[in-house]
Amino acid sequence: MAKVSKWSERLFGTPLFEPLVAFSYLFPLFYLVVFLIVPVLAMLLIAFSYNGMPSFHWFKSILSSSYYVQIPPHGDFLSKQITATGDTIYLLRGVDFGVIINSLLVSTLVTIMASLVGTIFAFIMARYDFRGKNFFRIALFIPLLVTPFVNAYVIKKMFLEYGLVNFIFHDILHLISFRLKIDGLAGVAIAQAMAYYPIVYLNAYASFINIDPTLEEQAENLGSGGLHLFRTVTFPLALPGIAAGATLVFIFSLEDLAAPIVFQGDPLAKKLMSFQIYSKFMGQFGERSPEIAALSIIMLTLAILAFLGIRKYVSLRQYAMISKGGRWKPRVSKPKTWQALIIYLILLPMLLFTIFPQIGVVLLSFAKQWSVTVFPHGFTTEWVRDMVTKPEARSAIINSLMYSGAAVIMIILLSVTSSYAAGRFKGALSPILESIVILPMAVPGIVIAMGYFYLFSGLFPNTPLDPISIDFNPAFVLILAYSIRRLPFAARSVFAGLQQVHVSLEEASMNLGASRWGTISRVLLPLISLNVFGGSMLSFVYSMSETSTSITLGALVTSRQPMTSYMADIMMSAAGSVNIAASLGLLLIIAQITAIILVNVITKQKYAFIGLT
Amino acid sequence: MVSVRLKDVVKTFGETVALKGISLEIQHGELFTLLGPSGCGKSTTLRIIAGLDFPDSGVVSFDEDDVTYLSSSERGAVLVFQNYALWPHMSVYDNVAYGLKIKKLPKEEIDKKVKWALELVRLTGLEDRYPTQLSGGQQQRVAIARALVVEPRILLLDEPLSNLDAKLRLEMRSEIRRIQRELGITVLYVTHDQEEAMAISDRIAVMNVGTVEQVGTPKDIYESPRTEFVASFMGKTNVIPAKVVERKGDRVSVEFESYRLDGLAYAEDKDDVVVVIRPERIQLHPIENAVSISGKVDLIEYYGFFIEVVGMFGDTRIIARTISDRHVRELKPQGEVTFYIDRDDILVLPKQNL
Repeated sequence: MAKVSKWSERLFGTPLFEPLVAFSYLFPLFYLVVFLIVPVLAMLLIAFSYNGMPSFHWFKSILSSSYYVQIPPHGDFLSKQITATGDTIYLLRGVDFGVIINSLLVSTLVTIMASLVGTIFAFIMARYDFRGKNFFRIALFIPLLVTPFVNAYVIKKMFLEYGLVNFIFHDILHLISFRLKIDGLAGVAIAQAMAYYPIVYLNAYASFINIDPTLEEQAENLGSGGLHLFRTVTFPLALPGIAAGATLVFIFSLEDLAAPIVFQGDPLAKKLMSFQIYSKFMGQFGERSPEIAALSIIMLTLAILAFLGIRKYVSLRQYAMISKGGRWKPRVSKPKTWQALIIYLILLPMLLFTIFPQIGVVLLSFAKQWSVTVFPHGFTTEWVRDMVTKPEARSAIINSLMYSGAAVIMIILLSVTSSYAAGRFKGALSPILESIVILPMAVPGIVIAMGYFYLFSGLFPNTPLDPISIDFNPAFVLILAYSIRRLPFAARSVFAGLQQVHVSLEEASMNLGASRWGTISRVLLPLISLNVFGGSMLSFVYSMSETSTSITLGALVTSRQPMTSYMADIMMSAAGSVNIAASLGLLLIIAQITAIILVNVITKQKYAFIGLT
Repeated sequence: MVSVRLKDVVKTFGETVALKGISLEIQHGELFTLLGPSGCGKSTTLRIIAGLDFPDSGVVSFDEDDVTYLSSSERGAVLVFQNYALWPHMSVYDNVAYGLKIKKLPKEEIDKKVKWALELVRLTGLEDRYPTQLSGGQQQRVAIARALVVEPRILLLDEPLSNLDAKLRLEMRSEIRRIQRELGITVLYVTHDQEEAMAISDRIAVMNVGTVEQVGTPKDIYESPRTEFVASFMGKTNVIPAKVVERKGDRVSVEFESYRLDGLAYAEDKDDVVVVIRPERIQLHPIENAVSISGKVDLIEYYGFFIEVVGMFGDTRIIARTISDRHVRELKPQGEVTFYIDRDDILVLPKQNL
């Protein structure tokens, strides 16, 4: 008979030391420390040293350079051109405040736009019943379908001087007498806002739905109503959810590489931190440049600050859920005439605009020719066939499937062990584990990529793990990166499932003589299997569409590159190739739709796939 | 079947002391109840006996075996959880057979035992149902069958009736008693309901804030509470703060307000006391060996087969419970009333800081 162990109780929350419980704590903790924290630390070491001595040199040189910080800004926000045919074109591209301020401004602007639009859609969807609501419901998911590069490419086309927007507002409706072209930083911002606002929508919608209607009824009962009710009760109660979504948007925008790469025809779009890290890495390859490390650290700091700020704020204000449990009938009403007008005349066109990129991806993958015109000329299945028959395309797909598959196996193991440890035991390590598992959400992918580069080239020179070596095999590094970056999706799903299972179900099993493993395998795992399945499906499809590490470390060996890296390559090369990239994007869309439908239908979890809390 | 002994068991959760060194002895084949308000430590005691929690210090033994740190799966103290903890993904049969499968018994023997257990709890024929298809009472029976089928050394029941409606509660109460008698097993029962405890138990331990206040048969506990807490917890009773003013051997005189009661049994040193009088022991007409107190009628409450007369004696309210008779009918609100109590029915107990 074992004696109680004080340290086991303190660390793991089990008075009798149990190897399986200790493993559940230590395995995910070790994995995340080694493959998430240590690479960042390695980068810190490099960024903070100059000629072998600890120094702020690189930070000072970055922050004092007008390339990175430029106040007052350069360039014209809006400029006017007259074409040979006499058209007036206004070009909107933003001004240059230097790389760091540009990044901050673009991300802030994207966050504000996405929050505004997302919250309005969420409120309408949560509180009003109108014809076509189901169309809205489905359409609002569409911008979430990730098709790296192609998506931004279509958005860029939409805002060209002869693109869709000018076609509608200038050529058809004659609402504007000039043509508007959006490019540069403004283009990046609009592409990101269009892609990310549904993230705020989903979080805000969940918050609005979770507000106990009696709280609003009581306010009305006391004489409040209309905008006053929204401002004093509804909005404050939903704010933690909205803020959580907004933070994700901020981080996503900060780390996004696809939009700057697509818009790089305008040099202003290159002046963003994510693009700078990327292009410097690809350009001065082989050098372990401290400047890239320092830039990565600055980016990471901004993301972590946003993340921690929101975690603190949300945990302080968990009141949306505190009123009595139980199901309630949501407050849904018919819109008044002026509200209906807003819905159909403003929101519906906006929604159609934001789903156009995905429609465009589908059009592109079947378009015979589609360059400067508003719509494609003729259709063909050539590109879809190319995707299967071209050896480079086929091998990229197979590589992605293998890397993502292997990553998902790790993710399942990590999310089950970490959820079990953090959700079932009250050891001192539990809160640490709980936060570290969702930490990857706050770490920009490009930062992880750079961290791995510095760590593996430093620790394992001239091995297949060393990105600088000619023997480099990106498989291992990419599997690691995917398993870390996409862990939060599965971990949150599994953790939520675990909390639905009352602990007495496991205690009853142990009490009847089952061992710890017997209890986990016969009772716990069967009861959370759907959550594990749903979570790993999402992790899998989002691994397939991962960009940051894929187009940097993954791009180093052409024969072993994943899909997204191949897509980035061909996007930037000859005409016609864009269509193959679009076909690959279509493949990703189909995979994501399948996963989301499966998760929603089988596990009845809604909105589980993107969110912070 | 075993006897269970707890010696000086201490358990803390962080800063809070859940058990302050409790000792108990549960005999072979008895139905023993832990009774107390929520937070008194009764469930913690139960979980420690089940091996789901471990004490900071102290010893738990089954017969002569020290099982203090034996894991739950090895000790055979099987718990029926308050929420039944039936596995929703297993049929009734699989739930009940679970413990037997772990013991790797042959299939025929498992079949036989499951059949026996389901017969015992009168659920034959529901083997293929799933827990969600059962009523609350049926779920309760499955949970009991699942525990009994493994022939536990002791059966532990955690507030087993709290999730049932009033009628079902009475029915299950006698079911549990029947099964316990039929099998002659040791049962430890936890409840906060004193009526339930009295009806079902061989012996009761009354617990309060991590200590055992008194152990005894239901009659002992009700008739001769040893502490103010036990007296006030067991049913509606009058607890009147008073002071000892005179001692003659083991008899004392006490005073409350302007009233003096003489010749009461009390042997403790403490002069701050409470006088405990059960409402049904108060008479409204003179009797032998009685003390009498006169005051005003505050309220008369009709309960049907009995009546409660609330008297005001200075600022002290005392409740008398009686059947409706001539003396009661003569009473009027705010009128004079005299209560007569047999000296031997008055308990004087040291005052506790409750």
